[in-house]
Amino acid sequence: MGCCYSSEAEASDQEEETKRLLEPAASPPNKVLNGAEQSYHNLPSARTDEQAMLSSILAKTAINIIDVSAADSQGMEQHEYMDRARQYSTRLAMLSNNLTHWKKLPLLPSLTNQPHQVLASDPVPFADLQQVSRAGLSPCGAPQGHILILEEQ
Amino acid sequence: MTAALTQGLERVPAQAGYLVISDGAVLASSGDLENDEHTATVLQGLVATALGLRLPLGHEPPFRRLSVVFGEHSLLVTVSGQKLFVVKRHHHVQEPVAV
Repeated sequence: MGCCYSSEAEASDQEEETKRLLEPAASPPNKVLNGAEQSYHNLPSARTDEQAMLSSILAKTAINIIDVSAADSQGMEQHEYMDRARQYSTRLAMLSNNLTHWKKLPLLPSLTNQPHQVLASDPVPFADLQQVSRAGLSPCGAPQGHILILEEQ
Repeated sequence: MTAALTQGLERVPAQAGYLVISDGAVLASSGDLENDEHTATVLQGLVATALGLRLPLGHEPPFRRLSVVFGEHSLLVTVSGQKLFVVKRHHHVQEPVAV
């Protein structure tokens, strides 16, 4: 908001501000303002100018305000809220029924309580890898070849 | 929380990256495996397949670590607390010693 006001202050176009003040006022702040202007009708012109400036600022602000209270005026009754909540629940239940395969991800057995140590322990001995390779159990010699090993210890 | 998970992984010798996976999502990653969701998905499948194997000796747990050994590096995987821990480790191929 602060930035908004400061940018308006930079645009110090007097004519522009006066012009906006003369626009037909529709919002409540302007109505109040019009009433206030009437009470100061007989004051000296300097005071009127100041008042006009203030009024123009207020009018400008009022134009820039989005009145969100209007959204509440078309609000729902309590039973409508309940109906909608029920609809959402039904939809969710239908969707979750279709996602049973997702919900039933197999639980993984814990292979160790110290994963860091297991991963940091010595790699598979090279001799073992060679033996597997020689036995023709794995295409280890191929450029992209790899061996899968399940280690018990 | 994440720091506690990954603190030990960073200290794995010759590690070039790691992944911590839970429920199909990458919880933490680093190095060569940073945000590597493809590898995460593939390794989850591998672990699931390996767990489906019924080893004759009936060890419990069936294995502690799954190693996918490539030419110059390995991907080591284990499971703890419903999370997959993956580390990529470089290894130098040892030349056989001629006697």
